[in-house]
Amino acid sequence: MAGRVAIVGVGQTHHTSRRDDVNLPEMVGEAVRAALADAQLSIKDIEAFIFSNMEAFEGIILPDHGMIAEVGAIGKPGLKVTGGGTTGSEAVGEACHLVSAGLYDITMVVGWQKHDCGDATAGISAAAVPTAAKGMVVGAVSEFAKQALSYIRQSGAREEHAAMVRLKADRCACRNPYAHLKLGLKGLEDYLKSPYLVWPIRLLDFCPQSCGACVVVLASEERAKKIHKKPVWVVDFEVAHQEPFSAGSFGDPTGTETYSQDVAAERLYKRNGITDVRKQVDLAEIYEPSTWEEMSLYEHFHFCEKNEGWKLIEKGVTEIEGEFPVNPSGGVIASNPIGATPVIRIAEAALQIRGDAGEHQVTRDVKTAIATALGGPNWTAMFLLKRSL
Amino acid sequence: MAERAAIVAVAQTKYHPNRADVSEEELAYEAIKQVLEETGLTLSDMESAITCCQDAYDGRTIASLSLQRVVGAHFGHEFTVAEDGINAAYVAMAEVLSGHFETVLLVSHMKESQVEKSVIENCAFDAILMRQLGLDFTSAAALQARRYMDRYGITPEQCAKAVVRNRRNARNNPFAQEPMDVTVDDVLRSRMLASPIRLLDTKPISDGACAMIMTTEEKAKKLTKKLVWIAGVSNCYETHYLGDRELADCDALVKAAKKAYSMAGINDPLSQIDVAEISTEYSYQEPLWLEGLGFCGRGEGGKLVDSRTLEMGGQLPVNPSGGVLPGNPNGVAGMARIAEAVLQLRGEAGAGQVEGAKVALAHGYTGICGQHQAVMILANM
Amino acid sequence: MSEGSPTKKAEGPEYIRIEFDLPRRYNWSTGRYLGKVYAEAKENKKMVAPRCPKCKQLWARPPSPVCPKCKVDMGWDWVELPLTGTIFQYTYQVYPLWDPHEGERWSNPHPPAIILLDNGIYFRHLLEETDTKKLKEGMRVQAVWEEDYEKRGQGFQDILYFRTIEE
Repeated sequence: MAGRVAIVGVGQTHHTSRRDDVNLPEMVGEAVRAALADAQLSIKDIEAFIFSNMEAFEGIILPDHGMIAEVGAIGKPGLKVTGGGTTGSEAVGEACHLVSAGLYDITMVVGWQKHDCGDATAGISAAAVPTAAKGMVVGAVSEFAKQALSYIRQSGAREEHAAMVRLKADRCACRNPYAHLKLGLKGLEDYLKSPYLVWPIRLLDFCPQSCGACVVVLASEERAKKIHKKPVWVVDFEVAHQEPFSAGSFGDPTGTETYSQDVAAERLYKRNGITDVRKQVDLAEIYEPSTWEEMSLYEHFHFCEKNEGWKLIEKGVTEIEGEFPVNPSGGVIASNPIGATPVIRIAEAALQIRGDAGEHQVTRDVKTAIATALGGPNWTAMFLLKRSL
Repeated sequence: MAERAAIVAVAQTKYHPNRADVSEEELAYEAIKQVLEETGLTLSDMESAITCCQDAYDGRTIASLSLQRVVGAHFGHEFTVAEDGINAAYVAMAEVLSGHFETVLLVSHMKESQVEKSVIENCAFDAILMRQLGLDFTSAAALQARRYMDRYGITPEQCAKAVVRNRRNARNNPFAQEPMDVTVDDVLRSRMLASPIRLLDTKPISDGACAMIMTTEEKAKKLTKKLVWIAGVSNCYETHYLGDRELADCDALVKAAKKAYSMAGINDPLSQIDVAEISTEYSYQEPLWLEGLGFCGRGEGGKLVDSRTLEMGGQLPVNPSGGVLPGNPNGVAGMARIAEAVLQLRGEAGAGQVEGAKVALAHGYTGICGQHQAVMILANM
Repeated sequence: MSEGSPTKKAEGPEYIRIEFDLPRRYNWSTGRYLGKVYAEAKENKKMVAPRCPKCKQLWARPPSPVCPKCKVDMGWDWVELPLTGTIFQYTYQVYPLWDPHEGERWSNPHPPAIILLDNGIYFRHLLEETDTKKLKEGMRVQAVWEEDYEKRGQGFQDILYFRTIEE
């Protein structure tokens, strides 16, 4: 991209299952204020707003319109993007384009979802072609159940590996003040007690429906250096959508098809001279709706060889103190306000680069990080963030 | 960084009250096929696609899922803008100017025939405070119309004149849904919907799609001799709750227009703009939006509509295509205005051509009483 | 919730609840391509799919005017699908989840599956057998049609489910 863009402020709410104490604009307003405080800017400095939300979940249309006052956007430019799980990353991407093109110097990306207003599974089931799939889709859960089956068949991973992924996520989440599910899981026994939703996905294997918002402030190179001592540079990003696999939405049981994750990763790595991900990148915040998916993503993002994702988790490589930390925030399995989730991945990666992640700061020094997003069916977005250009 | 973003091809489907013969995908593809044929490009040449659609109208979470195939999004980029079509073009322009993508496909589609519009529109109102009042866009517009007319003395006759001109102009537009010769009397005698808005003061239900291809100026020169580029664009939000707004004003439009004009180097819109395509779903919006766009002073919109200025052959023809009133789905309206502006600047508007048009304005809005407004200025080389 | 988390359920007496129903009705069109699938299913109890002129792949569910991979116009070359195959993958629902079309929570007793049809195409559908202990990947299955003409016209759902067959 031409003009350079940096993240100069991040803010999130404390993600949780119900926010009965606030209405939708108020909840989003919390994250906006947090981001402004972090950037040490006033709302007057924000020149444009990009909103990210999936409206199916709250039953409101034009949801950005309802919160204009609370968010501080009256009389300001902006627009909303809608997509699937990748909505937040699309919003950050478009905000980057607007800044990079020289149209604005400082923009704010606002992502949110208040799942207590509706039901995520129903909303996702409604994404199926209405004239072709009635009664067939049980939300994202059934699609990830199929993905899990494909992954087990191809890689030989076992339930205890899924348990390890969940335990890692929970350990990290307990160190992250913003995370939703902090369960204090002790071990495999806790995991095995968890009931199946759609076999083989257990309740503990799958992400929650959270209420939360996340905001990032992006600035042009000129302004970024004046605003924040530690701007985090959005060096590049890549998006790859894809057709559903012939035999699944998120997993290909035939083992013959190409995943959008591979396509996006290859393009991004090639453009940025990354040949050894675990050496040249210090951390990844990936979008993993289920434990099995996390192991699969390790492979497709080239953190390890094919069919060896479960080995990575077995060896503890991706822990906070590990050699290649992945999702020190607890990831999507711990917090999932869908419209905000990709923004959270980017915000958390930025915090790690700045060294501001507090208790869940990783041991390894983070100069370069990857943040990814995943949507249906198997769309991928990948962002490359750096401490210095 | 690319210097300017150019629109190299535009297409619209003929607007129709009920396209039950096609799915959303096929409807969008009708428009997309035309721009591909015109430029000789294929879907594989598109580096990015921007879709403009609303989940609620399509009845499908992630409405753009229907369009993935027809925009060629497999292993590609596609983004959805959930605001009026002008904003999708704005985002496409940013993509091109940032240097990230060179060729972008845009498509906007909506099938109003699929839904009960009032129910969907009611969902735009705050669930706790306003929804149960049973408001929809028409009843809210009626509030605005009443306030505007009372404050500035705009008359129903003046609003009706806007209808007469728009419906008549539509006779020159092969894509128009309901071109019609109506008189002011016909409008004033039509059935009352929500006082003061009558049936002929608004548009019929409509299905349609609009597509365009945007590229860098350099690439555009290889594809067409008739270059049209974006000289200025901006958008703006106003506050949401109707009670918080002075409905006789349109601050968001004033701001959006000001910024777009400044980008395009326009300080006297009436004389510097040759043709304007504006989105008006209700007749009162024509005088009101014209004031917001700075074509006359506050409260003088009625006089402007009375005058010959806006007619074909006048100083500033407005909506030679007929605009939205003869039928345009509300999600497509803004992009259709850009398409019509492009046709004018390429000299391809046929019987509705404004001679020698060099600078055109396209306008669109989204939401209750135009809470979100967008303005784009286009020019030819 | 862990210590230090400031969000709490708002204290106080019970909430005021206001309930109202706002059903959203939609009139979806199948369009030409899916319409052909519906027509063949209803009239002839056949399942058809278009074939891409370039890559020759069949795109059964759902069909599309543009080949998803080649991105060329699909054309109008229709192929009938065999209605026998093997179970390639299946799962089963345990927990009742919301169905947006029905407006209620339910657990479909019929397991969703991916059937590998005899011509090599993967076809998603439901299995008749509700006792998952009797199911195994690789078992032969056959489509069971809705026999009543008046009740057909549901597109892919004109096939009620796939039944395991002895071979």
